[in-house]
Amino acid sequence: MTVRRFFRPLHLCAVTVLVTSGIALAYVNEAISMALEAATPYVKEGFSVREDNWSGETEEGKPLLIRHQLFRGNEYWFWAGTSYEKQPVRVDVFDGSGKPVAIENFQRGYFAGARVLPDRTATYFVRVTVGDPKKQKKQTIDWSLVYGYR
Amino acid sequence: MKSSSFLSLSFASLLAVSAHANEVAPLDLASFPGELINEVVVPVPAEIFSVLDKLGEPNWEEAIVEQPKSESQDRRQIALQFGCLIADGFVAVQAQSPAEIQNIGRRVLDLSESLGLASSVRPHCLSIIEAAGDKDWNRVRRELDLTELTVRETMEELRDDELSNLVSLGGWLRGTQVVTQVVTASYSNDKAELLNQPGLVNHFQGLVSTMSQQPNSPRFLRQISTGLADMNRVIKANAPLNPDQILEVRQLSTQMLAQFYL
Repeated sequence: MTVRRFFRPLHLCAVTVLVTSGIALAYVNEAISMALEAATPYVKEGFSVREDNWSGETEEGKPLLIRHQLFRGNEYWFWAGTSYEKQPVRVDVFDGSGKPVAIENFQRGYFAGARVLPDRTATYFVRVTVGDPKKQKKQTIDWSLVYGYR
Repeated sequence: MKSSSFLSLSFASLLAVSAHANEVAPLDLASFPGELINEVVVPVPAEIFSVLDKLGEPNWEEAIVEQPKSESQDRRQIALQFGCLIADGFVAVQAQSPAEIQNIGRRVLDLSESLGLASSVRPHCLSIIEAAGDKDWNRVRRELDLTELTVRETMEELRDDELSNLVSLGGWLRGTQVVTQVVTASYSNDKAELLNQPGLVNHFQGLVSTMSQQPNSPRFLRQISTGLADMNRVIKANAPLNPDQILEVRQLSTQMLAQFYL
């Protein structure tokens, strides 16, 4: 699996990227666009979306875990996306003991989200799953995660 | 949002979490079947400052300082200064000081020239200066975040992950120093809890320890490595730090920041 971060200005250059850096890179950019699309309505609700993102390619259905410092008093949304059609995307958030802490989740088409109101300031774990873990024949699939806070 | 609503929010979140927890199986960290991404998400200072604003009315102007001038040509030191300067930008936004933000925007450009990254950073600096003039604080925050990301990404593209990590460390350390200053001025458990970041201290300590063990490692990196190890000993429990511990973290972060400008 590869993990990359991309600048937002690069999203605007997806066609150039496709030509110069290969189709895989363009797909990952598409995954970032999907995650940001999921975030868009929440910006109007006062969420600040971090410019940074976490993305790459992985085996279909293989869960990914990202450690994340959250602060009690903030509200967080995590949004994940993929460019692959009809692939289930899911985001879950757990505290340090493994207890699920998301108070709201959604899955829609190419993206998914999870909302967290941390009950304490600590390190949490964000799990992203793209694709069906039970599928026999697995393909490489792109993914991306962005987050916002208010 | 003030303390009472802050507590209500936390209580509401506890109830909501309880209701939702049944739907998702707990995570077994010891036998996770997937892949742990080997990096820690480093928050921007604005994430922590926003909570401090909810808990009271910090005097952000008091937190504005002009960092010393440095003649250092060491790119590692300049990367630390860069991260620190971006954090200073977030402080100036909290203080809603257009003049200070514009000053920082110009200094960001100077430092990016020293790093050979001026062409990538210049558009962001201009946006910072313009947005500060318009008092568009959200845009300034977004551009500061984007500026840091641009620099780190460019460094990573040049296979200079070490410098990229030092930019993050510089920003985190300055943010930590400011938080200790605000908490010291008006201590509460809620504010002190914001420094419960052992995962981040561990992350940075590991990175700098590796760098400081390289041959010909400069003295400032060894000093910062020692400072982070000391900070790791203080920030280790889940309970909020007491006032003495806050003071200790403040002194340690101040001493480490001084190493940036030798």
